[in-house]
Amino acid sequence: MEPEKNSSKTEKVPDWMLDLDRVGFVRRLFIARKWYGGDWWFVAISGLLLIFIILVGIFPQWFAPYDPRAEVGPSLLEPGKAPSEYVLVSQVERGEITLVDIADKTNNIGFIVGSPASQALREVLIELNDNAPEGVRYQPRQRRYDTLEESLAALDNGEIDGFVVDPDVLEDSLDVYPNLQVAGTLREEGSKGFFMGTNQIGQDVFSRIIWGTRIALIVGISSALVSFIVGVPLGLFSGFIGGPLDRVLTLLMDSLYSFPGLILAISIAAVLGPGIGNIIVSIAVLYVPTYFRIVRGQTLQVKEELYVEAARSLGTTWFTILRKYIFPNVIPSVVIIFSVNVGDAILTEAGLSFLGFGLPPDTPDWGIDLARGQDYLRRAWWLITYPGLMVSMVTLAFSMLGESLSEILNPRLTER
Amino acid sequence: MSASLRRFIITRLLLTIPMVLILVTMIFFIMRILPGDPIRSQLGPRVSAEQADALRERLGLNRPLYVQYFDFLWDMVTLDFGTALTQGERPIRDELGERLPATIELTIPAITLTALIGIFSGSYAAKNRKKPIDYIIRLLSIVVYSIPVFFMGLLFQILLSVRIPIFPLAGRMDTLLMTNFETITNFYVIDAILTQNWPALGSALMHLVLPSVTLGLALTGVFVRLTRVNMIEMLQSDFITAGRARGLPENRLTYKHALRNTFIPILTLLGLQFAILLAGAVLTETTFSLPGVGRYLVERIQLRDYTAVQATIGVFALFVAFVSLLMDILYAFIDPRIRY
Repeated sequence: MEPEKNSSKTEKVPDWMLDLDRVGFVRRLFIARKWYGGDWWFVAISGLLLIFIILVGIFPQWFAPYDPRAEVGPSLLEPGKAPSEYVLVSQVERGEITLVDIADKTNNIGFIVGSPASQALREVLIELNDNAPEGVRYQPRQRRYDTLEESLAALDNGEIDGFVVDPDVLEDSLDVYPNLQVAGTLREEGSKGFFMGTNQIGQDVFSRIIWGTRIALIVGISSALVSFIVGVPLGLFSGFIGGPLDRVLTLLMDSLYSFPGLILAISIAAVLGPGIGNIIVSIAVLYVPTYFRIVRGQTLQVKEELYVEAARSLGTTWFTILRKYIFPNVIPSVVIIFSVNVGDAILTEAGLSFLGFGLPPDTPDWGIDLARGQDYLRRAWWLITYPGLMVSMVTLAFSMLGESLSEILNPRLTER
Repeated sequence: MSASLRRFIITRLLLTIPMVLILVTMIFFIMRILPGDPIRSQLGPRVSAEQADALRERLGLNRPLYVQYFDFLWDMVTLDFGTALTQGERPIRDELGERLPATIELTIPAITLTALIGIFSGSYAAKNRKKPIDYIIRLLSIVVYSIPVFFMGLLFQILLSVRIPIFPLAGRMDTLLMTNFETITNFYVIDAILTQNWPALGSALMHLVLPSVTLGLALTGVFVRLTRVNMIEMLQSDFITAGRARGLPENRLTYKHALRNTFIPILTLLGLQFAILLAGAVLTETTFSLPGVGRYLVERIQLRDYTAVQATIGVFALFVAFVSLLMDILYAFIDPRIRY
C-alpha cells in the first residue's frame, strides 16, 4: 500500500533529479526522504537538534544571561516570578521603622514557618551584616509561627517586635488589630524574575543548564572518542591476526561488556578522583568493548572476502590491507555506535555525578544539579525538571540519530 | 541430552570461570589503588600511627597483597565473603542478606513490567512496520531510553507523591509500621504475608510501586527496540509467508506463530539486560532511598571498605555470569543449531 501512496509524490520529481549523479548533495538528502520516510525525518530532526545543542555547547555565553557560578538572585525563586516584596509589620507606637531598628540581639522577629519570608529575612540580615560598621552585629532572635493569625496575635501582645510577611499574604488581616501597622519595607519587589527560577544558593538555573551543555558535550564526545581510538584498532588487529591474542582480548572484552557499566565506572572514578579528565577515562573504559566486538566481528567477515585474498596475493602489506580494504567496511557501523555511544556517555556521566562520583561540586553540571535538587524535592520542582530535561533532550538527539541511521543502513532489515 | 549439548554446556561453564575471575581480580586491584583507606574512614584523620597499625593488623590489611588476594578468592569460592572493614565489621554475608532482598523486590516487578511492555509494543511495531504507529512506538522507546532513570524517579516523586500524594516518597515501609514488624526473610512483602501483617503488606507494596515502575520503564526503551528487530526478522521468514499464503489472519501470524518463535531469543536478550538492570538498580535505590545492594555498594566505595566492595562486586559478577550461562544453555536446549 505504501508505494501507491508515494507514487503521486514521485511523479512531481523531474526525471533528471532521480539520476543521483546529476544531483547535488543537499538535494540528494531531500530526495532520500521518499525512500526512508519516517526515518528520514528522525535523522533530520535529530540532526538539527544536534547542531543547535553543539552551538549552545561551544558558545554558552551567547545564550546564558548570567555567570553560572554567580549568586544573582534570592534563593529558590520560582520560574518567571519576580522576587516578591516583603514588609515589616510592627506595633503602631514604633512609627516608621526598618529592620535595623529592631535587629538587636534582644529583639524577636517572627515569620510563618516554611514561607519564603524566612529566606528573605535571612538574606537581608546577611546583607546588613556585610555592610555593618565594625563591632556591630544584627542577629535578632527568629520566631516561627504556623499561621498568620497566630503570629499577628503574638505581635499584638508584644511577644515579638516585628513580623516579616509578603503583602499578598497579609492582605487586610491588619484591620482587626488596631495597634498594628505596616512599619516599613523589608525588601523591595524585584524588577525581573528568572526564566527558570533560581537554585538554593541563588544561582540562575537557566544559565547553569546552558553551561552544563558544554560539560556534557565535552565528556560525552571525548569519552566516545577515546573508546573509539582504543576499541577500533584493537578490534581490527584482534580479528585480523586471530590466534591466542584474539582469544585473550575477546575474553577480556566480554567480561568487561557483561558487567554493569555504571558500577565499573563508579569504581574507576573513585580511584581517579574528581576531575573532568578522570571522568572521561572512567566512562571511556566502559565503551571500548562495544567498539571492539562490532569491529572484530566485521573484520572476521571481511577478511575472508575475495578482494582481500587478491590484495594479499599481490603482496600488499597487512597494514595496508587493514587500512584500505577492511577499515572502510567497518566505518558505517562504527558511526552508528559512536552516535549512540555519545548519548550513553552523557547518561552515564549524569549518573556518576548524581551519585557524587563525578565532577567537583560547584561545576555547572546536570547530574550535580539534579543531585542537589533532590534535597529540595518538595519545594522546588524546577531544580530537578530543567536539568533532567536537558540530559534527556541531548541523549535523545544522539540516540535518535544513531537509531534511525542504523534502521536506514542495516541491511538485515531490508524488506524482501 | 546429546553428547554435543553436554560438550557445549561444559565449554560454556569453563568460559564463565575466567570471566568472573577477570572481573573480580580487576576490582580487587582497583580497590587497592584507591586513595584513602578504610583505616582513615573508620578512625578519622587524627589518629596515632600505633592505633592505625593495630586496626590494620586486626583487619588483616597488613598481610602481603597476594595473601589477601588468594584469601579473597577462597572466600568467593566458599561463598563466605569474609567480614566488612567498616560500619561494625559485620560478616558481609549477613549484610548482603539484609540488602539483597530489597534489590530483588525492586527488580522482579521491574523486569516483569519491561518484558510485558517490551514484547507487546515491540511486536505490535514490527507488525505495523513503516506505519505511523511503528514510528510512534519507536520514538517513544528512544525517548524513554534517553531519560535518566533517576530523573524519571524524581519526576514520579514530584508528581505522584508531592503534588498528588498517592505513593510514599521513599524507603521500604512506613516507619510507624516498622516498629512492630517482624523480619524473617527480609523480603518485606513475603514477611508481611508470613506474619499476616496486612497493613505492613499494603505499605510495602505501595512503597514498591514508584521505584519498580521507574526501573521497569527505563529498561523498556532498549527492550522494545530489540523485540521489534527480532520480530521483523521473524516476520520475514518463510514459514510466515507460507502461513500468509494459507490465509491465516495477520494477528494470529504475529502473536502466535512469530512471537512463539521469537520468544527464546527475546528471553536471551532479557538476560543480557540483567547488567543494565543492576546499574539501574543502583540509581533507583539512591533516588528512592531503598537500602538495597546497589546503595550498599556506593556507600562502601565511599568508605573504602575493600572487602565489602569486592565481595559485592563479586556477587554481581557471579549473578551476571550465572544468568548469561543459564540463557545460553536454555537457548542451546531449544535450538539444536547452537553448538561448539
